[in-house]
Amino acid sequence: MKSSVFHEINAVVAIAARDITRSLKSIQSLVISLIFPLIFVGLMGETMNQNMGQGLGFNFLQYMLVGMVVNTLYQVTIAGISNLVEDRQNDFTQEIFVAPISRYAIILGKIIGSSFSSLFQLVGLVAIALILNIPLGGWDFVRLLLLSPAICLSAGALGILLVGFVQDQRTAQILMPLVIFPQMFLSGALIPVNHSTGILNFLSHIIPMTYVVDLAKAVFYWRDPAYDKIVMHSPMLDVWVMAGFFFVFSILGTVLFARAERNR
Amino acid sequence: METIIQVENLVKQYRKAKEPAVRGVSFDVRAGEFFAFLGPNGAGKTTTISILTTTLAKTSGTITIAGYDLDKQPKQVRRNIGIIFQNPSLDLELTAEENIRLHVSLYGLYPYRPMYRLMPADYRKRVADLAEMVGIQDHLFKKLKKFSGGMKRKLEIVRSLMHRPKVLFLDEPTSGLDAVSRRSLWEYLKKIRDEENMTIFLTTHYLDEAEGADRVCIINQGRIEMVGAPHELKQQLISRYMLIDAADRDRLRQELEAMQLRFAETDNGFQVRYDGPTPQAIIAQLQTPLSKLEVYDPTLEEAYIRLVTRQEGGMGA
Ligand SMILES: Nc1ncnc2c1ncn2[C@@H]1O[C@H](COP(=O)(O)OP(=O)(O)OP(=O)(O)O)[C@@H](O)[C@H]1O
Ligand SMILES: [Mg+2]
Repeated sequence: MKSSVFHEINAVVAIAARDITRSLKSIQSLVISLIFPLIFVGLMGETMNQNMGQGLGFNFLQYMLVGMVVNTLYQVTIAGISNLVEDRQNDFTQEIFVAPISRYAIILGKIIGSSFSSLFQLVGLVAIALILNIPLGGWDFVRLLLLSPAICLSAGALGILLVGFVQDQRTAQILMPLVIFPQMFLSGALIPVNHSTGILNFLSHIIPMTYVVDLAKAVFYWRDPAYDKIVMHSPMLDVWVMAGFFFVFSILGTVLFARAERNR
Repeated sequence: METIIQVENLVKQYRKAKEPAVRGVSFDVRAGEFFAFLGPNGAGKTTTISILTTTLAKTSGTITIAGYDLDKQPKQVRRNIGIIFQNPSLDLELTAEENIRLHVSLYGLYPYRPMYRLMPADYRKRVADLAEMVGIQDHLFKKLKKFSGGMKRKLEIVRSLMHRPKVLFLDEPTSGLDAVSRRSLWEYLKKIRDEENMTIFLTTHYLDEAEGADRVCIINQGRIEMVGAPHELKQQLISRYMLIDAADRDRLRQELEAMQLRFAETDNGFQVRYDGPTPQAIIAQLQTPLSKLEVYDPTLEEAYIRLVTRQEGGMGA
């Protein structure tokens, strides 16, 4: 019994290490880790700040930086998970699925591996923030980093659900932006959504990322005078919703993915 | 001998196909046996192997491997098997050794360590030994993107032999390998088979590789045509004959007729079938001095081609 638990953990570690090794070797991801923050914080954020950022009652660039942390972790994790579709196309999933390990161990390893890849990308974001002279916020930022595993797990679960439904790479390439971009704008990561009404308000309440962003902001702006202006829900609500989404998505996603692999 | 693989009435209908790829196949494989699966392209070999190795769902049928029911205990089945897939199943972004390290960790053979140097000495020795066996020892730490097709194949062979499975499935393992590597792979397989009583389930298009099998199973269009030892198949499929000739052909002909043998006269001499008696028994009875004696023992390849082309209504028979 003990040895079989060890066996599963060992497999999770090895699968995660595979993704970590890959992302450490990839120059591409290093470049992206600098370009994305530069576009979103540097160009979009700075422009919005100069033109609309006054009188908000908080530092808009810092607000956006927090959003970008969540956004980076969230998106890169999902993108990492979606590599499973590529693995399937390259027949590599066969090698993993024929191994005597739990299907959940496979998926968990994949989520953890993708999470680490997304953490590497944060380095680029922090570098850009320092260059642009955006205050990181000291301990507030450390607290935010401590929350990153939860952010990655939420994203990973959504990623697994997606690969459970999508069989081929082309569909995945079309679907990914459709999942990522609306969430980016509707979740309040980069632009406040407190005053959204109607359909936009409805959408922003049903997407999973909203609660992740909200919890991250609650953690970052804890005891900050601007807390009430920025945070929408109670942190407990955020945690429950995230946990709910996590279990439903990851279990359903694993079952669907494993079945799609076998039912050809 | 105990049965290690039992397949009954296996059917596979692919979701996107009109006709079933496997149509009610039954066979069994005994422990320690070298079992060869032969059949033309599209016969259903890979489909069957994928089902046996739990990577593909079947439509119907029952399968037991190493005493475990494939449906109810897939994990136990997986623990007892190893496979080399027909399509390479490697991560090209990683090095050869990293692919092997991932594999052994998935099988729980060694604890995972982030670097080769940190892996147990036992692991490093086994990797080095196997890599040398197939001749990729100098390429272990190179990215697979730079590997040739044959080198990838060799890496997969090394990988599948890292854990010592009870049943090793090999789906065309030698396709793309050079002659030297083929030979050394076969020698190694023979060795581990003798040492560890490993069962080998092979598909191949090289008939000479199947010639050494304990039993051969011929599958065509999703159905089993024949199962048996290579010499049995040959016997059933083509009669063996010898070619003899003499200066005094008339006398030889009379002798052959008197012995009630089936023979045909050609420019080169008499083709005499010897299904029952051995060539020696026949020759011992002949009085006519012979000027020529050639004994033909057909290869499995001839027998196989005869069988497969007969089905297609082609040139055979
Ligand atoms: N994913 C799939 N979907 C639909 N049909 C498939 C699929 N994979 C294989 N087939 C069909 O199933 C049949 C058997 O294929 P299989 O790969 O088992 O043949 P094989 O005996 O391994 O041939 P080869 O010697 O070429 O490897 C073929 O007619 C093939 O077209
Ligand atoms: Mg095949």
